Amino acid sequence: MNFDLGEKELSLVAKIKDLFGPDSRDYAVRGESRDLQQTRDSLLQWMKRLAQAGYLDLGLRDGKNSVPLVATRESLAAVAPSLFLSVEVSTRLFGRLISVYGTSEQKADLLPAIREGRLIGAVGLSEAGMNIEGPLETLALSTGSDFLVSGSKGHVVNAPIADWIAVAGKAEDRLAFFLLRADSEGLSIGPRLSTPGYDGVAISPLSLQDCPISSGGCLGPFEDDEPLRKARSWEDEILTAASLGLMRSALDSAAEHARAHKSGGKPIIAYQEVAFKLAEMLTLFQTAQLLAYRAAWMAETGNQEAELLGHCAKVFCAESAEEITSASMQVLGQHGYQRGHPAEEGFRNAKYLQIAGTSTEISRVKIGDSVLGRT
Amino acid sequence: MEFSFTSEQLMFKEQVIRFARKEIAPRSSEHDLRGEFDFQSFQKLGGFGILGLHFPESLGGGGADVVTTALAGEALGEAGVDGGLTLAYGAHTFLCADTIFCHGTDAQRERFIPKLASGEWIGCMGMTEPGAGSDVASITTRAEKRGDRFVLNGNKMLITNGPIADVAVVYAKTEKDLKHAGMSAFIVEKGTPGFSAGKSLIKMGVRSSHTSELIFEDCEIPAENLIGQEGAGFFMAMQTVEWDRSALLAPFIGGMTYILKKCVDYARQRVQFGRPIGEFQAIKHKLADIKIFIEAARSLCYRIAWCKDQGRPLNHLEAAVAKLFVGDWSLAPANDAVVLFGGYGYCHEYEVERYFRDSRLAPIGGGTSEIQKRIISKLMQWA
Repeated sequence: MNFDLGEKELSLVAKIKDLFGPDSRDYAVRGESRDLQQTRDSLLQWMKRLAQAGYLDLGLRDGKNSVPLVATRESLAAVAPSLFLSVEVSTRLFGRLISVYGTSEQKADLLPAIREGRLIGAVGLSEAGMNIEGPLETLALSTGSDFLVSGSKGHVVNAPIADWIAVAGKAEDRLAFFLLRADSEGLSIGPRLSTPGYDGVAISPLSLQDCPISSGGCLGPFEDDEPLRKARSWEDEILTAASLGLMRSALDSAAEHARAHKSGGKPIIAYQEVAFKLAEMLTLFQTAQLLAYRAAWMAETGNQEAELLGHCAKVFCAESAEEITSASMQVLGQHGYQRGHPAEEGFRNAKYLQIAGTSTEISRVKIGDSVLGRT
Repeated sequence: MEFSFTSEQLMFKEQVIRFARKEIAPRSSEHDLRGEFDFQSFQKLGGFGILGLHFPESLGGGGADVVTTALAGEALGEAGVDGGLTLAYGAHTFLCADTIFCHGTDAQRERFIPKLASGEWIGCMGMTEPGAGSDVASITTRAEKRGDRFVLNGNKMLITNGPIADVAVVYAKTEKDLKHAGMSAFIVEKGTPGFSAGKSLIKMGVRSSHTSELIFEDCEIPAENLIGQEGAGFFMAMQTVEWDRSALLAPFIGGMTYILKKCVDYARQRVQFGRPIGEFQAIKHKLADIKIFIEAARSLCYRIAWCKDQGRPLNHLEAAVAKLFVGDWSLAPANDAVVLFGGYGYCHEYEVERYFRDSRLAPIGGGTSEIQKRIISKLMQWA
């Protein structure tokens, strides 16, 4: 047992912090301009820096979560939430699919560019208009050696700026991920969605109409749905770490303000209405952090309850993020209510974390099933 | 970071669960209902080695580390032992015996620890007063030095094990005009003239533990009953609360695990609208929230235990965070468990009712949630 972050974790966290200066919010600001080219250029620029710091390599090869990975993710998610989400989806969702399930040719083609931050990836998991539990309706018809893929995905992070998109579907009734270039024939990328949060993230729907894919252009078909479950758990890990980052940023902003801002001749942290709110925020944050770290450690060590703990961490962290960002705005008062302040950005971002990936409702059902011994 | 227990620790936890399930838990309901202390079970805890687990073997203890000690507490809860008995154990071992062990003289250790570790004597700790709760430094019980004796005058209130204790660690002012620096700790034995306990209070929960007033009327004790130095009492009390907020929290967490198992069993067998209620999402939601609480609280509790094992002197922030979380965030899942059982959950026979009542103490005892928030925010203020 050891509850301290080790040297490895601390050094990675420090490296990430060193990357970001006062311009760290540029990414979100540029994203908010809704200029896709600008968003893409900015993302590639940051990904190269992150690659040089060793960030993109973490957990890429083995697809495993770990405490160092969570700690490092948390530090990036705290300073640049939108950048974090885009980088993670590109690297540790798309990249991991290639790294863990790709052929040697696919790995040779794509992994160097992913690791060096030269390629933006996206993954279409859930079907448009369908919840996470529904069957995949994106289907590939065999034309002998190739497939023609048709279907639609509703909400794909990075889709409008991606070089490559992996789309989950069925080929001969078996799971496969179809690898598409952004300019593939039959692939239509919808308009960038306007979302209340994660301003810097380019999200859009996709549709595929008889998209030709060679058999070497897909991952799988697989014997079972395990790779899909894996991809969903990777997505949940990203969202859990995103939650920690939002919490940290919101708590730090609120605490700093409460120490500096005076009312009635004393800092507002001296008033119990503010002080106790901060204490509750810190308690939730530390609890969430430890739970996320333990879930990661269990995944890393192959503990049989790792999946269950992953769901527990996702629910607790995502809900705590909403609670803490809301409380942070309250402490910051009018200062936090201004567009562009990290507190209001965090407040808008937080809701996404409960909706995206395995929603908190479905996560609870899965936890319930697990404790009932139904899984 | 690394969250594993050793195989020895886990084996020991299983042993405690088996022992407590067989020897202790079957008697819990009856004693809770009657509001009676279970002397027999307490003796058995001593016999099994739990009461003195972390004391050295030379003093009759088990030589265990703090993490193992917390695991034993969790195991008692997980076996279904009621909160009254685990509270009595906590007050006895951590608030009374540990203070003597950590700060007492060799003579005091040798006289008291073996008998407290075995359960032959029962211990309590007197800090709270009718007019001094969270503000501990405002106690008014006086200890006046007269030659080679101290004379105690004052009243203590809400003292766990008060009416049944053989030994009390009592905090009193040796310098009445000083606040924290005027507090000292003393050992007072049962039968000392001028020392008496009031009637056992009737409580909402933890009913098998006895709680009462302690009364000191010109109670003379030898000067060698002073623990440590004069004026060091507040520091001792603050060190004690780390136990309050680690090993004493563990039975709550273990108890929640026990209650989750009860809820799962009930949700599987209780059929409504033609199917087990466990198939309804609303029931799964409650089970999930109980499970999430257990997993979230567990890491907090063992973090303090681990910090203590590392010899870190005072871990106020970690301790306060754990206490606040277990105190305030346990109420909703405890309530969920009662609701899941419906009308049966409101009846004593199904045990969730007892756990609900017992867990209501968590945000109150050992420093209220408000005090934890005060500690946390003070530390944040100067961060």
